[in-house]
Amino acid sequence: MSSPFNILFITRNVLIALVIGGFGGMGFILFLIEFDHHTSSEEFCTTCHSMELVALPYRQSSHYNPESGVRASCGDCHVSEGVLMATWDHTMGSKDLFKQLFSSVDYDDPVENLLHLPQAAFAAREWFRARQSSTCSRCHTLEAIMGDRPAIAQIHREESGGKSCVDCHINLVHRPVPSRKTFNQERWNRMVEEEFNLATGEAAKRLAP
Amino acid sequence: MPSLHKLPLPLWLLLLTLPCIGQAAKVDLPASEWGLEQGDNCVSCHQKASNSLHQQWQQSTHAAAGVNCFDCHQADKDDTDAHEHEGEVIATIVSPKDCGRCHTKEAEEAKNSIHSQALALMVERTGATEEALESAGCTSCHGGRVEAAIDGTVSSGNWPNAGIGRINPDGSRGSCSACHGRHLFSKAQARDPAACSSCHSGSESPDSEIYQQSRHGVLLQSQREAMNFGSDSWITGKDYSATATCVTCHMGEAPGLNPTHDVGMRDAWSLNGPVSEKQSLVIFANGSRRDLPLSHPSPRKGEALAMIGGEEATIQAIASPNLRRKAMRKVCLECHSSSFADRFFHQFDQQIEAYNQRFGIPGKAIMDDLYRQNRLTPTPFDEPLEKIWWQIWHDLGVSMRHGAAMSSLSHTFSDGLHAIEKRFYGAFLPEVRAVAGDEGESLIERHLQSGSSPTLPTYGMVPAATSTIDSNNE
Repeated sequence: MSSPFNILFITRNVLIALVIGGFGGMGFILFLIEFDHHTSSEEFCTTCHSMELVALPYRQSSHYNPESGVRASCGDCHVSEGVLMATWDHTMGSKDLFKQLFSSVDYDDPVENLLHLPQAAFAAREWFRARQSSTCSRCHTLEAIMGDRPAIAQIHREESGGKSCVDCHINLVHRPVPSRKTFNQERWNRMVEEEFNLATGEAAKRLAP
Repeated sequence: MPSLHKLPLPLWLLLLTLPCIGQAAKVDLPASEWGLEQGDNCVSCHQKASNSLHQQWQQSTHAAAGVNCFDCHQADKDDTDAHEHEGEVIATIVSPKDCGRCHTKEAEEAKNSIHSQALALMVERTGATEEALESAGCTSCHGGRVEAAIDGTVSSGNWPNAGIGRINPDGSRGSCSACHGRHLFSKAQARDPAACSSCHSGSESPDSEIYQQSRHGVLLQSQREAMNFGSDSWITGKDYSATATCVTCHMGEAPGLNPTHDVGMRDAWSLNGPVSEKQSLVIFANGSRRDLPLSHPSPRKGEALAMIGGEEATIQAIASPNLRRKAMRKVCLECHSSSFADRFFHQFDQQIEAYNQRFGIPGKAIMDDLYRQNRLTPTPFDEPLEKIWWQIWHDLGVSMRHGAAMSSLSHTFSDGLHAIEKRFYGAFLPEVRAVAGDEGESLIERHLQSGSSPTLPTYGMVPAATSTIDSNNE
């Protein structure tokens, strides 16, 4: 007499494969959760020196040192919620790792880093905009924003239609970069040259492909 | 219409004296250029975020004419203080360049006036750096260099600043809001002497106090209602006649005299140095202007001369001190007879000459000699004598001479010439003797025409007196 399992073509081997696959899958999901968690941390991100340069202003910001002690780490803002989206963001973000390792640009060099910062800022703002600043709402709830004047609560309730956080709030954490509309490459280059005592025109030269 | 500074001298003179029919210059910009739709949405937020500003604007002539936030706050994307706000490129600071989009004539006149060049002029006169002037507090009135951070936020220590010679992030100079309170832009407010008093008061520039004690200032206290400050047109002798304010004489419109935002244009005397001099107004081809004392070799039209700040430019026209006075005299004639005005100016000139001859010229010559003989170090204000001399020509001397200009009797005489005399003979000369030792007496005699025993001053008020007084007998 054949076992009921046989009717479902579940042989012993299939059963073993299912169990192994099941545990394997669970293990993989758990791995992704742990992986996303670990790779979202400031400690991990700043293993690249280029990211350490970006983290310096962050450590002076209110997102690092709020009165409440609620500290946002890199991934809290820059990695989406949920294992699938988080994994996706990390996968897409790995292009930064490739650039760090294989690009001709030395992002660990403070000058090169600063010269390329605006492009990184613009990309990050686009990323936030595309997600309606969803990572902000991990901590901030629009309806709960009070501010220190009644007008602040009122404006957030009544004037925020069609906008997300990043449409108004930029340059909160990292080194200030103008919006794309008012960005002036010449002026940025001059700032870098002055800051690092470089000859005039050196910044443009370094940026040339 | 050609701008004022491009006119040849005869035409410029004509313009200065031309009977004028208009009032404040009308805005030439077509109405389609303001009330921009980008400004439609500002109010919704800003009546919550900054309702006082919103209310002031709402009550303004600007709002009535349809001028909105964006019209003034729009910025060129390459202005250093430009930043994106609600999708539009704006700037916090509304500079004279912004106001000049509509108020072309006023902005152009102001740009070339002594007011807008107040910072550069101070650098030129003192030789101090802008940073030093900033830390001494001078830039709060003279204007500071306001710079923006890379993200367009206004960052320099000089901000907030409404100093009249402010250098703005967009490169323009001056600050309309020094006189015109922001957002309401009330005519009445700017025409009131109080508008001038935030800078022109105190020992550095006591014009507010001087005016209050002058005949005109006393009249204002009881005749304020009659001054018609809020009137659209504000012509002396037509729209008001109760008294004269700062604006009346220095900028105001009178029959036959155009109004001007070049506030120093009608000043025939320089009254702010150790020695006063009559001064010409040099108008450069690029529109810039500067005062030139008569002791300076008289340049001609077409020649090059250093502008304020040192850069050279071609001279377009030169207005003599007499012409400058002629302009101001026109204002007087709306209330006073011509002989009255002439006598006033005569007395004024005599009082300035009295200061010059008795204190300014000898004092400066003595100080110059002491520096030349190395009896004083070149460092300013490190010796008591320098501080005494500063009190004489600057604190007391400026106040006295401005008092003479505005007919404030106490400032001219009791707190002016008499106070200077006490300081000059009671402190300055004794300190000169102490510094110069044996040579002190001969130094003083060389430069002091009347020796140590001053002649009773006449100040142009009475026939020359013959008696002398003892310097201690005061």
